[in-house]
Amino acid sequence: MPLDNVVFWVFAPISVGSALAMLFQRNAVHAALFLIINFFTIAVFFLVLGAPFLFAVQIIVYAGAIMVLFLFVIMLLGVDGNESLIDRLKGQRPVAILLGTGLVLELFFAIRAGIGFSATAPADFDAAVNKGGNAAALSRVLFRQYFFPFEATSVLLIVAAIAVIVLASRQRRAITRAEQAAEERSARTPRTEPA
Amino acid sequence: MRTPIAYFLIVSAMLFSIGTVGVLVRKNALIIFMSVELQLNAVNLALVAFSRMHDSLNGQVLAFFSMVVAAAEVVVGLAIIVNVFRRRQSTSVDDAAVLRG
Amino acid sequence: MLKLIWLVPALPLVGAAANVFLGRRLGTLGGWLASATVTGAYVLAVIALGDLLSLPDQERLHMTRLFHWIGAGSFSLDATLRVDPLSITMVLVVTGVGALIHIYSIGYMEHDPHFARFFAYLNLFVFFMLMLVLADNYLLLYLGWEGVGLCSYLLIGFWHDRPAAANAAKKAFITTRIGDAAMLLGIVLIWVHFHTLEFGNVLVSTRSSGAGALPSAGAYTAISLLLLAGAVGKSAQLPLHVWLPDAMEGPSPVSALIHAATMVTAGVYLIVRSHVLFEMSGTALTVVMVIGLCSAIYAALASIGQFDLKRALAYSTMSQIGFMFFAAGMGFYTGAMLLLVCHAFYKALLFLTSGNVMHGLNGETDMRKLGGLRQEMPVSATWFVIGALALAGIPPLAGFFAKDHIVSFAATSGRSAAWVIASIGAFLSALYIARPLFLTFFGDRRNEEHAHEAPRLMNAPLALLALGAVTAGVVLGFTAEGGVLDRFLAPVLGVADHGTHGPSEIVLLAISVGLALAAVAVAWWIWASRRVDWQAFPDRQPELAGWLANAFYINSLYAWLVQVPGKGFGRVLATIDERAIDGAVNGTGAEVRQASRIAPIIQRGFVRSYALAFLLGAAALLLFLAVRF
Repeated sequence: MPLDNVVFWVFAPISVGSALAMLFQRNAVHAALFLIINFFTIAVFFLVLGAPFLFAVQIIVYAGAIMVLFLFVIMLLGVDGNESLIDRLKGQRPVAILLGTGLVLELFFAIRAGIGFSATAPADFDAAVNKGGNAAALSRVLFRQYFFPFEATSVLLIVAAIAVIVLASRQRRAITRAEQAAEERSARTPRTEPA
Repeated sequence: MRTPIAYFLIVSAMLFSIGTVGVLVRKNALIIFMSVELQLNAVNLALVAFSRMHDSLNGQVLAFFSMVVAAAEVVVGLAIIVNVFRRRQSTSVDDAAVLRG
Repeated sequence: MLKLIWLVPALPLVGAAANVFLGRRLGTLGGWLASATVTGAYVLAVIALGDLLSLPDQERLHMTRLFHWIGAGSFSLDATLRVDPLSITMVLVVTGVGALIHIYSIGYMEHDPHFARFFAYLNLFVFFMLMLVLADNYLLLYLGWEGVGLCSYLLIGFWHDRPAAANAAKKAFITTRIGDAAMLLGIVLIWVHFHTLEFGNVLVSTRSSGAGALPSAGAYTAISLLLLAGAVGKSAQLPLHVWLPDAMEGPSPVSALIHAATMVTAGVYLIVRSHVLFEMSGTALTVVMVIGLCSAIYAALASIGQFDLKRALAYSTMSQIGFMFFAAGMGFYTGAMLLLVCHAFYKALLFLTSGNVMHGLNGETDMRKLGGLRQEMPVSATWFVIGALALAGIPPLAGFFAKDHIVSFAATSGRSAAWVIASIGAFLSALYIARPLFLTFFGDRRNEEHAHEAPRLMNAPLALLALGAVTAGVVLGFTAEGGVLDRFLAPVLGVADHGTHGPSEIVLLAISVGLALAAVAVAWWIWASRRVDWQAFPDRQPELAGWLANAFYINSLYAWLVQVPGKGFGRVLATIDERAIDGAVNGTGAEVRQASRIAPIIQRGFVRSYALAFLLGAAALLLFLAVRF
């Protein structure tokens, strides 16, 4: 059995299973943890598909930074409480599940029509493309062809950082009496049902 | 590589659908957000698979950018959720139905 | 003058216009102006008569084409006026009696706030009546016909804030409308068969060989009967008579002019003018005769049962016109015309005198509350005596000649049964006119009020009318055949064959006079001598009194006939309106409300449902792309 086959068939179920588990978790923290497992499996897939750089980046950035941030916020907001099972919107759940399965089937047929289930990739990346290893090749493409988007994303990151600081800072200003009353009212009134 | 590329794409499709269902069914804003991240990851997987299939690094570059943007987006989104929580003391998306028609 | 005959109708039209636009400022002068226009028309008519008489007998016909009226495809019609002995006779009656009534009205309507409107309507009526009698084709005649109907409606309902008057006006218009509709059909039929509406071309009994065959007798009958229907409506004969008694709601001058002297005689004029059509049909003339006779008897009986002075006179008008129809139905057209002219005088006199009574006693017309008025209103009493005796047929007053000629004609032409009935009718007519005379002016005074005599302005025209009532018979129709009017109208109406049946002339004369005198005596005995308690009659014989007073309940019958289907139909319509129409409208509203209850479901504010919606769309799009490519 070729190695990549084994790897695939071990990690694919884990991937899908953890995703499903994340879906079914009532506790937000548990859901986050399952998602982290999923990210790990995806990282492995990256590795198998000949993108070791992305494998590393996925673990460091996604699993290591983003999900940690998620967990921070979950803990901060104290929503380790459980979510209710009853869905207020009638028919939402069945339609959503229908949509999900429909989507899978659609994509399944699209993939079958597009590539077909027998097409395999070559054993390795073309030597010319991957010269000097994946990281070097990637950087070559990144800093030459895609230089402008690269700079743009750096600006994006800066802007995001500033935005977060602005958004999340507590405003210390005088709260008007109307605002105070509104706060009290919104805390006291029960959640209104839809018409 | 002996595994047909299509298999990776199937996995990607399944992950994407699960993420979609998650967006639609869950009420907790954070879990919805996490489902969105799942979707993004599924797409990244597809991109890398195609990149491998076509012997080109463009797919990987695109996946890379996708990750960057996802990071920025997560950060800002979480800030918003925190703000909303501060207002309403609830992360249930259903409670934010003020723009009712 | 014959060429300027259009001035005759034009003058009253100008008078009407002047009263409409300047009436309020003119005040009483408007009334004098209106009277002047009609008097002027009368003078012009007299001059035209002179011109006509200067022509030899058979050439007394002049037509003046005014303008081309209608041109629609193959239908072409001119507005042409026709002056011949028949039309000039009618014109003289209308303008002559009309002028006197106008002058009377100046005094009668003096205190009425709508003085100018009255005279505008009155002048307008004279205009239309003149157009009716001067028309040379059936459509122009119909124009005048409708016009006088309109003016009758306006004048009956002159005091339109009184519901009784308004209803009476409506009733008159609608009832005559039925006849008018039939008449219009008749005119259409004339066009269908003759392709022309001009008298000269339609009223021929023979045609030159190149002009094609005449229509069949059946066609003539149909046309005649339809025209007869119009005449029956306008002249208030059975069965379209119900409007005439109610029309007495209008002012007395209106009753005198329209419902005695002129409009109601338009039916007689129509029949007499179209006599060729009636003769060419076999049966139409008989129908005319029967209708006339029945109406005469019916109205006579009804008149005896009425307690309202004017209603009694109204039924008497109907009866007299019945005699005119009777005469025309026998073919004695000149006899009918003689009665028409004489009747105009004495009936107008009677109505205007009753106007005097109303004027003097604050509008009282119930004869049970009148009586013994000849002491306080001697002049009016004199007029009423003259008018009543004239109608009763006491020689040498006008009515005697006119009626006697007709009754005798029935005898001499061999119609014995008709003669007997007509004689009974003559007896009844004397009876029914002597009754109001005695009830109003003789006997005990049953009224506390003081009655003041009418002013001179009102009594002066009556003097002229009385003169006419006295002399018209002697002058125009001293003999049944070959009288002045008879000879004058002969070129148009032909000479009737009087025949030689029945008793001799002297005997017939004696019977006529005897019946008339007997009737007056009976009337005196019942109503003026205090020997019969006529006031107790309704209590002792309530049924009979009821039948007479309610004119044999024909009004009620018609009301029932119209009401039942009318109400039923109305109920159906109301149900349709409520269920179907309102239901549809309200239902639409309810549907919209229902829809608006469903619509907001889309916008409930839940992000997840929005997400579902657009993800469904995205999935559909994906499917579409997958299928396409």
